[in-house]
Amino acid sequence: MPAPKTQDLPPNGGYQKIKFVRVPAKTLFSGFQIIGAYVGITSFAAYIYYLTYKQIQREEIEMRSCKLALMPMLIAERDREFLKQVRRNRDEESKLMKNVPGWVTGTWYGEPIYKTKPKDYFDEGTWDDLCVHSNYRTSAIRQNFHLWN
Amino acid sequence: MATFDHVLPAEEELTVPEVNLSSASLRAGAFHLGKYCENQNNEFMLCRQELNDPRKCLAEGRAVTSCALEFFRKVKKTCYAEFTQYANCLDKSSGDLHFKHCRNTQGVLDKCMLDNLDIERPEYGYFSRAKIHHTDRPAPAKREKKVYEDATPGLPDDYPRPPAKFGSRLHYMM
Repeated sequence: MPAPKTQDLPPNGGYQKIKFVRVPAKTLFSGFQIIGAYVGITSFAAYIYYLTYKQIQREEIEMRSCKLALMPMLIAERDREFLKQVRRNRDEESKLMKNVPGWVTGTWYGEPIYKTKPKDYFDEGTWDDLCVHSNYRTSAIRQNFHLWN
Repeated sequence: MATFDHVLPAEEELTVPEVNLSSASLRAGAFHLGKYCENQNNEFMLCRQELNDPRKCLAEGRAVTSCALEFFRKVKKTCYAEFTQYANCLDKSSGDLHFKHCRNTQGVLDKCMLDNLDIERPEYGYFSRAKIHHTDRPAPAKREKKVYEDATPGLPDDYPRPPAKFGSRLHYMM
């Protein structure tokens, strides 16, 4: 004969009481302490930020200074090379256009770039003016050089 | 661009020994160079800015370059090892040749420069500051103010100027 099935009953001593009482988290700091810590940490961080900001400004100024110190030498060298290239361009243009009747070097058939400026007024022109007789690849390499740094 | 009316300097005038150095070396010597050649540099930059024409400041530019060459030759003679060490440090420490990584080698170079060439390193913002430069070159003429013949004549200075009859147009100004 099979054993009689036992009925599903509460354990001995009954079920545990249902815990419905609120258990608040442990308070490590009071509100004033937290606000005080916030103010303290923030002002300390702001002070460190101030110091770092000053230091970064100093470094930037230093880098700018060294570039400005070198600038005259570089500009002097650049000017000389630039003027050589202008002369080369002028010679090249007269050689290229010598068979075109009415062509005047540096102008559009005698019409100058600037009408109101004196004749000796010298405009440096654009990069493309400077490289007009070189091939595109050379000028592009030079022009985009800074992108490769 | 250039016509035959433009006076371009001859090739010989433009060919001078250039400073043939790498970026790192130039930057390593930048502060002392700026101090050593301060007069020439200021003269050149003033000329360049006042006249705004590369053809007119060539003599000043040659002076700048020869001064820089002279400086670097002197450095090579006296502080070659320190200079090379510093330039090497600048070159290999960062991509933009920043000074902040190389303070130790910089100190060594500064000391050598001070001892041998008697050039003190200027403070960090020295070359960013505006400076007054006294020169013998006369300043370029200022543009004259245009005078038009048919301009409307103004009122004489002593014309009566009574206060406005109905106050200001801007009510909040009373």
